[in-house]
Amino acid sequence: MMDIVMLFAWPFAALLVITAIHAYLGLHVVQREVIFVDLSLAQIAALGASIAVLAGLDLHGIGAYLYSLGFTLIGAAFFAFTRSDKNDVPQEAVIGIVYAVSAAAAIMIMDRLPEGAEHLKHIMVGNLLAVTPSEVIKMAGLYAVVGLLHWYWSASLLLISADPEKARREGYNLRLWDFLFYGTFGLIVTVSVPIVGVLLVFSYLIVPGVAALLFFNSLRSRLVFAWGMGALVSVIGMGISFWLDSPTGATIVCTFGGALGLLAAGRAAFGQRA
Amino acid sequence: MKTLFLGSVLLALNSPVFAALRIVTTTEDLAALAREVGGKHVKVESIAKGYQDPHFVDAKPSYLLKLKRADLFIQVGLELESSWAPNLLRSARNKGIRPGARGFLDASTGCDVLDKNITADRSQGDVHPEGNPHYWLDPANGRIIAENIAGRLSELDPDHAGDYRSNLAVFETRLKKKAAEWGELTQAFKGSKVVTNHNSWPNFAKTFHLNVIDFVEPKPGIPASPSHIKNLINRIRREKITLIFMEPYFDEKLPKKIASDTGAKLLILPPSVGAVKDIKTYFDLFDHNLNLLSGALGGKR
Repeated sequence: MMDIVMLFAWPFAALLVITAIHAYLGLHVVQREVIFVDLSLAQIAALGASIAVLAGLDLHGIGAYLYSLGFTLIGAAFFAFTRSDKNDVPQEAVIGIVYAVSAAAAIMIMDRLPEGAEHLKHIMVGNLLAVTPSEVIKMAGLYAVVGLLHWYWSASLLLISADPEKARREGYNLRLWDFLFYGTFGLIVTVSVPIVGVLLVFSYLIVPGVAALLFFNSLRSRLVFAWGMGALVSVIGMGISFWLDSPTGATIVCTFGGALGLLAAGRAAFGQRA
Repeated sequence: MKTLFLGSVLLALNSPVFAALRIVTTTEDLAALAREVGGKHVKVESIAKGYQDPHFVDAKPSYLLKLKRADLFIQVGLELESSWAPNLLRSARNKGIRPGARGFLDASTGCDVLDKNITADRSQGDVHPEGNPHYWLDPANGRIIAENIAGRLSELDPDHAGDYRSNLAVFETRLKKKAAEWGELTQAFKGSKVVTNHNSWPNFAKTFHLNVIDFVEPKPGIPASPSHIKNLINRIRREKITLIFMEPYFDEKLPKKIASDTGAKLLILPPSVGAVKDIKTYFDLFDHNLNLLSGALGGKR
C-alpha cells in the first residue's frame, strides 16, 4: 500500500504547488477578464521553443528555455501595452488573436524542421504522472519567489487589476505594473504548462477563482477558498483517476467542472454570497 | 471491473510468491511476441492498446502500478515511445527495469531498421534519426524480437531457459511456414505502387515488395501543403496508382478526398496486434493485412 502512495506522492505534490500559485493568480485573471491569457502566453512560449529548435538548439536545453522565456516576456509587454484605457478593443480579443497567430506560426515553423516536430507538440500536453522530484522542487522554488514578489507588492498589483482608473489617478504607471504582472504570470505558465499541460493549468487558474467569486467578497476569503478548493479537487480528482483508471490530468479537469457545477447549484439553492 | 482492477493490484502487491515473470510492453505487438516465447511462465501486459497511436499515450495510474511491479519492460525503441515511456519508467521507481538494467529490453537490437541517418531532407517525412520505428511489420524482425525476448527471459529466469528455447523454436518454425504462405499470397501484386498516409510502413513494404512512392501527410500532425496535395494527385493519376493505405488512428479526411479525386482505393490497415478484434497474435496481424491488400490489389501489377 505504501508503494502506491509513494508512486503518486510527487504528482500530488506538483498539484499542490500549482494550486498555491495558480489559484491566487486566477483571482487576478478573473478580475481582469483576461481568461485565456495563460493559453496565449503558453502558446507564445511554445513558439519561442520552436524557433529555438529551428535555430539548431536542443529543445530541452537552457538555450531553448531562454528563447521561450524571451518570447513570453515580449508577449507580456505586448499585453501590457495593448490594455486600452478607452476599452474600444477588448483585451480578450487581442489575447485570442495572439494565441491563434502564435499557434499557426509554430505550425509553419514545425513544418520546416527535419525532426523534433513531435516533441514540440508535447509542450502543450504535459504529463502529470511522469513529473520528476527535481521538477517539483524547481517549480516550488520559482513559484515561491514569484509569490513573495506578489505578496510584497500585493496592494499595488491588486489595485491595478481591480480598478485601473483609480490606480491611474493615484499616479501608477499602469503599463509598467501590467508588465510586471504579465511577466511573472508568463514565467509561471511557461514552467507549469510543459509539466502538467495546458488544460490543467487553465483549470487550476480559472475554476477556483470563479468559484470563490460566487461566495466571497473579500480577497482574503476568496484566496483561502480557492486554495482549499484546488487542494480538495486535487485529492478527489486523483482518487477518481485511480479508481476509474482514467487519464489523470483529464480526470482532474472534469472533477473541477463537476465541483464548480455543484457549488453553483448550491449557491442557486441556498442564496447569495456570504 | 474497477474493483477487479484494484483487487488484482492489491493481491499482486501482497502475495509474497508470484511465480510468473511480469512483463510490461509498450505495444501489443511486443506483448504478443512475449507471450509466444514466455508461454505459461510469464504474465504479459501492454501499455498502449493496438488501436492507439503509440507515439502518444495518456498516462493512467495503472501504468505506473504495472511498471512498478514489472520484472521486464520491453519497448519498441527508436524514439517511438520517447514522449512517454522514459518519464513513466522514471516515475515508476522500479530500479530493475530502468534503461541499462537487466529488466529493460529494447526490442530493436539487431533488427533490420530502415531510414537510418536520413539527413535533414523534408521530403523524407518526419524523421526519426535512429531509424524508422515500425520495424515489427517485417516477420524477419519479428523473429529477431522473439529471440531478443527469449534471451532476456532466460537470463532473468534461468530455471525455465529450456522452455523459452523450445517456445522460441516452435514460434520460429511456425513463422517460417507462415512467411512462405505470405510470400506466395503477395506474389500476385509484387511491385505494386502504393501511397501511404505516413511513412510508417517501410519494413512492411520492403518485405512484401510494395513500392511506396509517396505519403499523403509527410509529417504527422502538420497539414500537407496545397502544392504537395496537387503533386500527389497528379502523380497518382499519371502512374495509375490504385491504392492508398493508412493506420486506423489517423484522420482519414484528406486521404479519403485524394482517393475519391483519383479513383484510388483507401484501405485502413491496422499496424498492430489488437487494433481490431480478430488480430490477437503476431501471425493474425500479417494474415489480416495481407488478405485486405490481396483483396484490394488482386492480381494487378
